[in-house]
Amino acid sequence: MSNEPQTTNPKLIVAVQMLCIGIVLLILGIAVTLMSPVKSMTPLFRTWSILSNGSIILTGLAFTIGGILRHRRIK
Amino acid sequence: MYSNLVITAIYLALMFGAGIFFSRNIKNTSDYFLAGRSAPWFWIMGAVWATNIGFLHGYLAHGGAAYEWGLIQANFEWFQGPFGYILTGLFFIAFYWRAGIYTVPQFLERRYGNGIRTIYTLAWIFIFLVTIAAELYLGGMFLKNILHIPFWPTVFVLTAVVGSYMLLGGLGAAIMMEFVQFVIMMLGTMPLLFILLKMVGGFKGITSTLIGQWGVSAQYFSVLPDIHHPYGPGPWIVLGQCLVVTIGWCAGHQSMVQRNLGARSLYDAKLGYVAASIPKTLGAFLYIVPMVAAPIVFSQMGIFVEKSDAAYGKLILNILPQGMIGLFIAGLLSAGLSSIGSVLNSASTMIVKDIYERFFVKGKSDHHYFVAGRVATLSVIVVSLLLVPVVLKVYLIMWLEQLLLAMVLGPFMAVLALAIFWPRANTPGSLAGFLTGGAFAIVLQQVFGVNIFFQISWWSFVVSLVVTVAVSLLTPPPKKEKIEGITWQSNFEAMVGEVIEDRALGTAVRATTMKAKTIVLPPWHLNIKYWATAILAVQIALLLFFG
Repeated sequence: MSNEPQTTNPKLIVAVQMLCIGIVLLILGIAVTLMSPVKSMTPLFRTWSILSNGSIILTGLAFTIGGILRHRRIK
Repeated sequence: MYSNLVITAIYLALMFGAGIFFSRNIKNTSDYFLAGRSAPWFWIMGAVWATNIGFLHGYLAHGGAAYEWGLIQANFEWFQGPFGYILTGLFFIAFYWRAGIYTVPQFLERRYGNGIRTIYTLAWIFIFLVTIAAELYLGGMFLKNILHIPFWPTVFVLTAVVGSYMLLGGLGAAIMMEFVQFVIMMLGTMPLLFILLKMVGGFKGITSTLIGQWGVSAQYFSVLPDIHHPYGPGPWIVLGQCLVVTIGWCAGHQSMVQRNLGARSLYDAKLGYVAASIPKTLGAFLYIVPMVAAPIVFSQMGIFVEKSDAAYGKLILNILPQGMIGLFIAGLLSAGLSSIGSVLNSASTMIVKDIYERFFVKGKSDHHYFVAGRVATLSVIVVSLLLVPVVLKVYLIMWLEQLLLAMVLGPFMAVLALAIFWPRANTPGSLAGFLTGGAFAIVLQQVFGVNIFFQISWWSFVVSLVVTVAVSLLTPPPKKEKIEGITWQSNFEAMVGEVIEDRALGTAVRATTMKAKTIVLPPWHLNIKYWATAILAVQIALLLFFG
C-alpha cells in the first residue's frame, strides 16, 4: 500500500455524511409533502402518504441534528 | 405529472449538491477508494443493500419476474440473499481485512499469485461496464415512459448526477448516497404493499382469488418449488444459485466487498454485512409481494400489461396519486443510481489498483493514484455511455455478461473457499481450477446447450474444486509465510492480538510476535452471532410458511 498523507479525520467524514443525508431527506420529504394533494386523496392514500412523508422528514431531521452535533464535537 | 417531474428534479439536484459538498473532505487514495475507513456498521448495512438493488436486480426486473412467476422470486430475499450476506459477513470479510487490500483480485494475488488476479479483474471490469450501461438504459427508458421526457437527455442527466458525486467523492460519497437511497426505498415505497393488500383483501384475498377463482397453481406461492418448475427448480436454487452464485456474488463482487473494506473496524464491516440481510428480507415486501398482488388489481381496473418488466411502473402510475408517484420515482431512481454509483466506484478502483498501478505506473505518490482514480472514474463513465446504445439492443452483449458471470462465479467460489479453508491449495492448482471451471462453463453452454445460469455455475464450481484440489496435491504446497493470516487455520494464530486491524491499516505485524490481548466482547445486543441467528430463524420461519 502507498503512503497515505493528509487523511481526513474519519469522524469528520461520518459527521459530514450524516449532515448531508439529513438535509437531503429533510428537503425531499418537505418537497413531496408540499406537492402532494393530500386533501383530495382518499383516506387510504392520505394515511400512507402522511406516514411515508412524515417518516422521511423525521429521519432527515434526526440525521441533520446528529450531523450538526457530531460536527460541533469534532471542531 | 408536473409535480412528479419537479420532485424528480429536486431529488437529483439534492444528490448532486450533497455529493459536491461531501467531496471537499476527500484528500487521498484511502479517502477516495475506502472512504478513509470511517463507515460505521449501519452505513455499511444500508450501502450493501442499496448496492444490491438496482433496476436490473430489484423493482423492475425482479418485480416483473414476480408478476409473471409468483413468490418464487422471493427466494432471493428470503433465502439466498440473507444466507449469502450472513455467511460472507461471518466467514469471508475478516480474511479480506486481514490481507490489507483494496480489491478482491488483490486478495487472490496475495493467496495465489498474479495470473488469477489479472483474469478475475478483466472479467469483472467487462461485467461492470455492461452493468452500468444496462442500468443507464433502463433508467432512461423508465423515466421516458413514466414522465414522458426524452431518452438521451435523461440518460445524460442521470450520468452527470451519479458521475459527479462518484468522480469527486469516491466511496464515501457512494456510501452516503446509498444510505439516502436505502431510506427513500424503505420509507417511500413500502406503503404500496399496505395499499395493495387493503385493495385485494390481504394475503388471504390474493390466494383465494388466484388459486380459488383463477385456478393458478399453488406453486405460484412457493418460494422453493419442486424440481420440475420451469423458471426455478428448488434443488437447483439451493445448490447453484444459493451456495455458488449468491455467496460468490456477496464475497466476490467488488462493489459489495468494497463497502465493507471502507468500514471503521472489522467489527463494523462484519455486523454491517450481517445486518444488511434485514433490509434484504424486507425487500420482498417492496417489490415481490406487491407484484404478486398486482394481477388482481390490474384485472379489477381493466389494465393490460404487455411486458412483465413494465408491470411495476404501470402499477404505480395507475393506482397512486400525484406526489406519491414522485416519491416512488425517487425511490426507483435511488435503486438504479445506487447500483450505478457502486459499480462505477468499484470499476475505477480495480482499474487503478489491479491494472494501472501493477502494469503501467508503479511507485508513484499517493496523490498520483488519487488523481488516477478520478480519471479512471471518468473513463468508465464515458465508455459506459458509449455502450448504452448497443446494450440490450445487441443480445450478444447481455448474453456474454451472463456467460462471464457463470464462468467467473463458480470457479471463484471454488478457489476462494479452498484459499481460506484449505492451506494446501496453491498457485498452479488455483489457476488450473479457475481456468478449467471457466472453460467447462462455456462447454456446458455451447456444446450441451445448458441455459440455466445456476446449473452452469454449480457444475463449473464442482469442476473447479476437483481440479484445484488435484493439481495442488500434485504440486508443491505454498510457503507458510505466504498464507499466514489469510487462511482459516491462521485465524486462531491471529487471535493473540490486533493483527486484523493492523494489517488492514497497512502496518502488518507478525501475529506470533504480538502479546496476548484481552478481547472485549460487544454488548449482547450488538453481538454479531445473535443477530445472525435471529435473522436465520426468521428466514427459516418464512421458508416453512412459504416453502
